Amino acid sequence: MNFFSVQGISLTIGFILILIGLWGILTQRNLIRIIIGFTIFNNGVNLIIVALAYMKGRTAPIIDQVVTRTDAVDKVADPIPQALVLTAIVIGVGVTAVMLSYTLRMYRAKHSLEINVFTESKW
Amino acid sequence: MYKKLFVLLLLAVLGWSFFTLLQTHQERQSLNPLSKHYVEKGPDEVGAPNLVTAIVVTYRGFDTLGEVTILFVSAAIVGLFLKTENRRRKYKIRSTSEILHAAQRLLFPVMILFGIYIFMNGHLTPGGGFQGGAVIATAMILVLLTNPESPISHRAFNLLESVSGFSYIIIGVLGVLLAGGFLDNHILPLGKFGNLFSAGAIPLIYSFVGLKVGSELSSIILNLNDVQKDDK
Amino acid sequence: MVTPIHLVSVALGTAFLLGFTKDRNWKISGGLVLLALLLMNLISGSWTYALFFGDQVPVQVFTAGFKPPFSINLQMGRFEAAITLMINFAGLLGAIYLFDRLKKAGRYAFMVYMVFILGLNVAVMTRDLFNLFVFMEITTIATAGLIFLVQTGKAAAAGLKYMIATSIISGVLLIGIIFAYSLVSTLNLDGIIDGGLPLIKGGAMVVFLILIALLLESKPFPANGWGLDVYESAHPGIGAMLSVATGPMIAYVIFKVLPISGGAWNHLIAITGIITFVGSNFLAIKQHNTQRLLGYSSVAQAGILLIAIGLQKELGHTFIYVAAGLLMTNYFAKAGLFWLSGLIKGESLQDWTQLKGRPVLLFLFGLFVFSLAGFPPSPAFFAKWELIMQLASHGGYVWMVFILIGSFFELIYLTRWFGQVIGSKEKSSAQPDLATHRLVPVGIMGVGLLGTMVFFLHHYAPDLAIDFIPIIFIAALFILDFLPAFLKNTVTILAMGWYLLQHISDVQNDTVRLIFFLIFLAGGAISLLAGFSYKGKRIGYYPFVAMTFVGLTGLVTATTTLGFFLSWELMALGSYLLISRGKNAQKTSWIYILFSVGGAYLLLMGFGVSFAVTGDGLLSSLGIAARALPAVGILLTIGFLSKIAAMGLHIWLPGAYAEAEDDATPFIAGIMMNAGIFGLILSLSIIAGHPFTWWLGWLGVITAVGGNILAAFQEDAKKLIAYSSIGIMGYILFALSMNIQMAWMAALYYVVLHFLYKTILFLAVGGVIFRTKTREMYQMGGLIKKMPLSFISVLIGIIALAGIPPLAGFGGKWLFYNAVVMNGWYLQGALVFFSGVVAFLYCFKLISAIFLGQAKDRYRHIKEAPVWYILPQYLLIIGLLIFSVLPELVLQPVAHALRSMPGEGIQWDGHFAQTSFGYWNAFIVMTVIAIMFVILLAWLILNSRKAQKVKQFDMVFAGETPFTPETSHVAYNIYAPFNKALGFLVVPVTTWFWHATASVTDASANHLRKWYNGNGQTYALQMVIYIVMFYLIIRGGF
Repeated sequence: MNFFSVQGISLTIGFILILIGLWGILTQRNLIRIIIGFTIFNNGVNLIIVALAYMKGRTAPIIDQVVTRTDAVDKVADPIPQALVLTAIVIGVGVTAVMLSYTLRMYRAKHSLEINVFTESKW
Repeated sequence: MYKKLFVLLLLAVLGWSFFTLLQTHQERQSLNPLSKHYVEKGPDEVGAPNLVTAIVVTYRGFDTLGEVTILFVSAAIVGLFLKTENRRRKYKIRSTSEILHAAQRLLFPVMILFGIYIFMNGHLTPGGGFQGGAVIATAMILVLLTNPESPISHRAFNLLESVSGFSYIIIGVLGVLLAGGFLDNHILPLGKFGNLFSAGAIPLIYSFVGLKVGSELSSIILNLNDVQKDDK
Repeated sequence: MVTPIHLVSVALGTAFLLGFTKDRNWKISGGLVLLALLLMNLISGSWTYALFFGDQVPVQVFTAGFKPPFSINLQMGRFEAAITLMINFAGLLGAIYLFDRLKKAGRYAFMVYMVFILGLNVAVMTRDLFNLFVFMEITTIATAGLIFLVQTGKAAAAGLKYMIATSIISGVLLIGIIFAYSLVSTLNLDGIIDGGLPLIKGGAMVVFLILIALLLESKPFPANGWGLDVYESAHPGIGAMLSVATGPMIAYVIFKVLPISGGAWNHLIAITGIITFVGSNFLAIKQHNTQRLLGYSSVAQAGILLIAIGLQKELGHTFIYVAAGLLMTNYFAKAGLFWLSGLIKGESLQDWTQLKGRPVLLFLFGLFVFSLAGFPPSPAFFAKWELIMQLASHGGYVWMVFILIGSFFELIYLTRWFGQVIGSKEKSSAQPDLATHRLVPVGIMGVGLLGTMVFFLHHYAPDLAIDFIPIIFIAALFILDFLPAFLKNTVTILAMGWYLLQHISDVQNDTVRLIFFLIFLAGGAISLLAGFSYKGKRIGYYPFVAMTFVGLTGLVTATTTLGFFLSWELMALGSYLLISRGKNAQKTSWIYILFSVGGAYLLLMGFGVSFAVTGDGLLSSLGIAARALPAVGILLTIGFLSKIAAMGLHIWLPGAYAEAEDDATPFIAGIMMNAGIFGLILSLSIIAGHPFTWWLGWLGVITAVGGNILAAFQEDAKKLIAYSSIGIMGYILFALSMNIQMAWMAALYYVVLHFLYKTILFLAVGGVIFRTKTREMYQMGGLIKKMPLSFISVLIGIIALAGIPPLAGFGGKWLFYNAVVMNGWYLQGALVFFSGVVAFLYCFKLISAIFLGQAKDRYRHIKEAPVWYILPQYLLIIGLLIFSVLPELVLQPVAHALRSMPGEGIQWDGHFAQTSFGYWNAFIVMTVIAIMFVILLAWLILNSRKAQKVKQFDMVFAGETPFTPETSHVAYNIYAPFNKALGFLVVPVTTWFWHATASVTDASANHLRKWYNGNGQTYALQMVIYIVMFYLIIRGGF
């Protein structure tokens, strides 16, 4: 594929975001930073989904005066990934909320946000 | 240090695998058969000019139900976690600026209205239940930013959430009983293409989704706000 | 039929409705939840019934009024119906079990619980890949919420680890799904499967992303620390749900998504399964925390299920039984154990001693544990059997070996746990929490497991080809266990007698079988008479006695390998449970079961190889199989060797015999041991003449010499006889290794002989111990006057044992040396002869230490052994005498049965037996000796009638108390000089070897489990490593 097209650039950035997010998850000690790493990771995934819907020169899949019902097939971008990304974003929100509340409880238990403090269950 | 190098190495391999995936990727020049069907037949079958909405609310409405459920369960978990006995406790806060107060009074009704507008018109214009709900929740954040002690009733949000959620399920089941299947929007007439009251049950569903998302996000925010009372 | 979509509407509608309730109205919210779960059970239950037993065909449910691929569809077929039923049933019972917890946490908890169950249901039914992602994510988030139900810091940490791990998984899955869409333009699972992803450029990578994510979700070893921590930290009720509801869901999801790889991933999945199965079971060995142990076990069970899923093509039509067997066993047993663990106060395995004195709970505990360990008739037993057979017939020998290794690790920790609870002397002082709403779900799971057993027994009835009446009899004894012991003893003896009379005609044409049939049933019934000496109920004794004997009888009557193997395992389990009843039997019984099952696994492999060759499961085809592949016979032989305690595999025996209850030892040692010989006859008859038997002959020699020498140095009466059993097993093994008729005759002669005198000796010594309450011989002495009847029994027993004329032992030796000379194994024969000399040493020690010499003061008023111990001894002595006078009663039919074997037989002329090396007339020998005995006795009586009788205690003791009382006994360490001379022969090399093996295993398990260091970040890293390694492996490098 062409890495310098709009889609190519978006997909590449998406994957780079995923790697950055993983880097954060795997190396940061602070729970909040890890969660931030996770949201970056998630955004990377979402960007990839949206980028896959992109088609050069096309517009949003909404039928109006510009995009009529008859020529819509040739004028709009793929609507499916756009529908999917909505779900993915919402899931990300839910997960982040739950993670944050976990962090809050953990902070209350030990007054620390360092991940390596929380190793009571192991082996 | 070694650990970081190791992680770097791992991510490099992972990146390489992503790169090979990208290399094989072909950019599409035309819609695939599935999306072509949605674009061509969607306006007739579902009656919504916003094709994304047609997919989100009807074709893949079952996903959306799951999506709503995820927000619902997240809100419930946050409620479960952050249950606090000190809900009524007052604590001293620094008063917020006059600008914020004034802006809040001015913006709050507009934001709520805007949120409602977005989800009511989800089938016509960009936007929908989730976006509208998020705008409503943002209005709540504004209120709390101005005054963290605002007497906002959790109960009201809970009831709103339950009513809208339950109604959503009822509409879904009505689809089984009256139309072609769960969440079928044909339980109401499709109406005139492009009108507010058209596209069958979509505006109704999206309104419930909007209310539900708005109240769920708001209650997450309210719960998180209440936590401060424990830590003071 | 109610459309399956209502599983969704009921669950979600209820969850949303709960928002109207208030926390204090828990009755309403809880009632709603239970009602909803009940409805969901009815829906999936009715579908299950209709799909399996009615003529319902699988249905597709279309949402939104459009057909796929335009909309999302759900499928309700057999798998979906059964698995949603499992999920919903566990959900209902789990809600009842967790009710007070959920109630305390308020309506939010009820909501989360409902959503959790909903997510599982839809993930199973949906046929849309993205929808699958959404609902798996719902399940994940809801699980994260449920983990925190216990509200501890530990649970919070485990929850976050879980969230981090599952977020990475869902990210990977999502990338895979979206690229799958971009490649094949659909999200419908069937569409994607038809789209042929592997053939498209880049498709392999997409398949990788999707399947690796689902695989990681199943918590594969070793990237599963997060899952284990959750099992440990969450409430046991939640742990149960993760194991028995989420586990099947993920397994089924992998099953339904797997075809997108076009078959390329099947073996990969199976390989990860086997790694998980072996690895998790291995690390579980070092666990002491109950829930963590159960977590490891759950992960391992998921692993073996993955093996079945990955090998579904190889398994063919048996796949469904393998999968169902594994799934159901884990379902009932794991839920039961998790829920039981919630009743126990404390987290450690030791705390389970709280169950002591609660027979019903102990029964359930045992039922769950041994079902998981794959003992018959648990569904897992049949599943593993089928798995091994099918793998063997596809040449999957490596798979077989690894599955059995994993199963063995599983056995180690499960039986140790059970043994700790049964055998520990300490009883935890805490009381278990026996709330009804927690007990009922456990009980229901027990009943469910028993029901599944019946189903599997029924299904496999043609392959088993065994009589089910004895098995029903075992079940009846479990139920009637509240009756007094004497009643149960009577019933058991009568039942054995009845069965003997009914079925003797089945085996009467086969002399070898007939001999064993009579030993097992008639001998068993006689030995059980001693049980009348015990008062009370003896709860948990007779069911296991019955199990042992049913197993033994089954061995003789079995015609199929499955029937034989089931009987073998029943016998092993029954005798293990009997031995574990002993006061100090915790460790020895554990070693016993490990050796038993280790041997049984070799049998399983042997049967598997045989199945692979002949394709049928008949015992009679073993010979055909062994001609093609002698491995069949060799595997079976080694398996049976562990049962007869051949040197090197013998360390279980002395302890097990010594620690078993005194009336159990006679039939374990005298009767059950013959099962191993029966097996050897089976296995050696199919590889007769194979070079392997030469080695086996030497093993027999070593066993004979070693067993006898070790026996001479024992101070414990039961251990002494036990070691002597090893010696005699050596003789028999040696004899059976020779492929000539005379040797096999000797072997069978010894079988009968050994059964008679060994049972007599153990009964006699058991009776003495019953009175003296000690097994140490140096604490006895001079009991001849107090227990003359026991003395005579022992005397007769050792005369027979030592092979002194006129008793039958002499005839055995005569046959034996004839055979040795005929076969030309002179050196071996000489060594065996030497071991016979050693036998004199311990025979003398046994009788002199117990009965001769000075009596101990504390036994001044001791009585003869109970009559119920004496009676069976004398019945057997009568048998022994008849056998001694008329050996041809046994030998002639045996010779007839063995007529096809090479070598010379015995020429009979009345009582006169002749071979080319000499002759023997047992009748004359006995007559002559009897006459001499009478004359001598008369002379002695006449001469000594004037002698003054001295009472045993009529003497003066010195006023000193010896520092070590045992040294004052003449028989203590009587063979110390021999020990100096021959001690090098009895260096416990074997014991060292097994101990070293055990400690290496232990230490490495302990070391390896440190991999799970409890840090959520490390777990995330391990997952990424797993992904990368997997990627590199399937790509074959970069």
